[in-house]
Amino acid sequence: MTNSKMKPHHDMGGDQAGPITPDRPGDAIFAKPWHKRVLGLTVAGGAMGAWSIDTSRFWRESLPKTDYQSFTYYEKWLAALTNLFVAKGFVTRDEIINGLPSGPKQPLHDAALDADRVLAMLAAGAKASRPELTKPLFQQGQKVRTCSPDATKRQMPGHTRLPHYAADKIGVILFYHGHHVLPNSNAHFLGECPEPLYSVEFSSADLWPDGRAGDVVIVDCWQSYLEPLT
Amino acid sequence: MPHDHHDENAHSLLPGEPALRVKALETILVQKGLIDPAAVDAIIDQYEHHIGPQIGAGLIARAWSDPAFKAQLVNNTEGILSDLGFGGRQGEHIVVVENTPDCHNLVVCTLCSCYPWPVLGVPPAWYKSDAYRSRAVREPRQVLAEFGVIIPPEQKIRVWDSTAEIRYLVLPMQPEQSHGLDESELALWVNRNAMIGTGLPQPPVKT
Repeated sequence: MTNSKMKPHHDMGGDQAGPITPDRPGDAIFAKPWHKRVLGLTVAGGAMGAWSIDTSRFWRESLPKTDYQSFTYYEKWLAALTNLFVAKGFVTRDEIINGLPSGPKQPLHDAALDADRVLAMLAAGAKASRPELTKPLFQQGQKVRTCSPDATKRQMPGHTRLPHYAADKIGVILFYHGHHVLPNSNAHFLGECPEPLYSVEFSSADLWPDGRAGDVVIVDCWQSYLEPLT
Repeated sequence: MPHDHHDENAHSLLPGEPALRVKALETILVQKGLIDPAAVDAIIDQYEHHIGPQIGAGLIARAWSDPAFKAQLVNNTEGILSDLGFGGRQGEHIVVVENTPDCHNLVVCTLCSCYPWPVLGVPPAWYKSDAYRSRAVREPRQVLAEFGVIIPPEQKIRVWDSTAEIRYLVLPMQPEQSHGLDESELALWVNRNAMIGTGLPQPPVKT
């Protein structure tokens, strides 16, 4: 059984929640002008190559619970980006407090993304797939059991992409996607450790007390999230 | 490493008002040569004016019109998107899931807000909301009803939780009334929500 007390606040699949407010045709893509600045800074900051998307996600979900729950979406991005720039030594806490850099204006850093490279960077993206190192352990159609999220972490506190609602459940391998970078390791600079990645299908009736027979939920799982069903 | 105590987080040292917070951080990053403000402008321009759901709608309309293209889009998605120049950031590994009379597909990211950016643009606020992330996996039929979509009991629902770098794009069923239209007219029937699974294709609103 999973322990709900251990469930981190970002892992919210299945939680009770209120109504959803769909947007309306004509609504702006960015509700406030500062939202787009945060998006641009986050994408440009990530393009420096000093951290991966896994690290960014880990820092967003590691925000204090009160901030995670009260911040709007782009406030979370901004807070995690600020903390990352400080943690990686690019910016000091004093500079954040003073709102000013400690020295004179610097030329553009070698790793910084210049405007001429933006289109190529966005078009290239960053593939998570890696060459196949080993044959996948599981075959399409095979039944598997998921681990507990904490058991998949490489350090504590740590990062995993196995949601609690899909922990310790029996599912069926739907697709094999080849080897992909393992976020549990890569988020913490412990190496990419590529593993076979599968789409695993779970019956809604197995996941939820009120789940409907016939409906399914598919979760992408790395091989180390799964055990063969004996 | 991130800490539990609010006081120890650098972000809490920024000004209280979000717009000022962003400005403060950007000022420091630009002065230190870590960010080229023109690069930030160029990124915003792409997501505000160029990369959006019209790209996905064009693909769906072409798939409806051309069975050979549809087969490519479903079976060789990465290859065809790369050939067309629609791959890239947050859409490096796209899987197309097809709606049928037996099965309706719905996409969510319960852990954060993963979304196929190169074909749909940046996600709308509701997609990133706690309510959608919490409820889509557990009560998809009620969630869809809140979007005005009623799924008949005999049609099963597949909810795709985007936990890895695979991004899911829904290929909706073509409405009967749209048969015979050309590709550019069909594209107007394909709204963004239809490609997430929270909507169905609709006739374009006459303006």
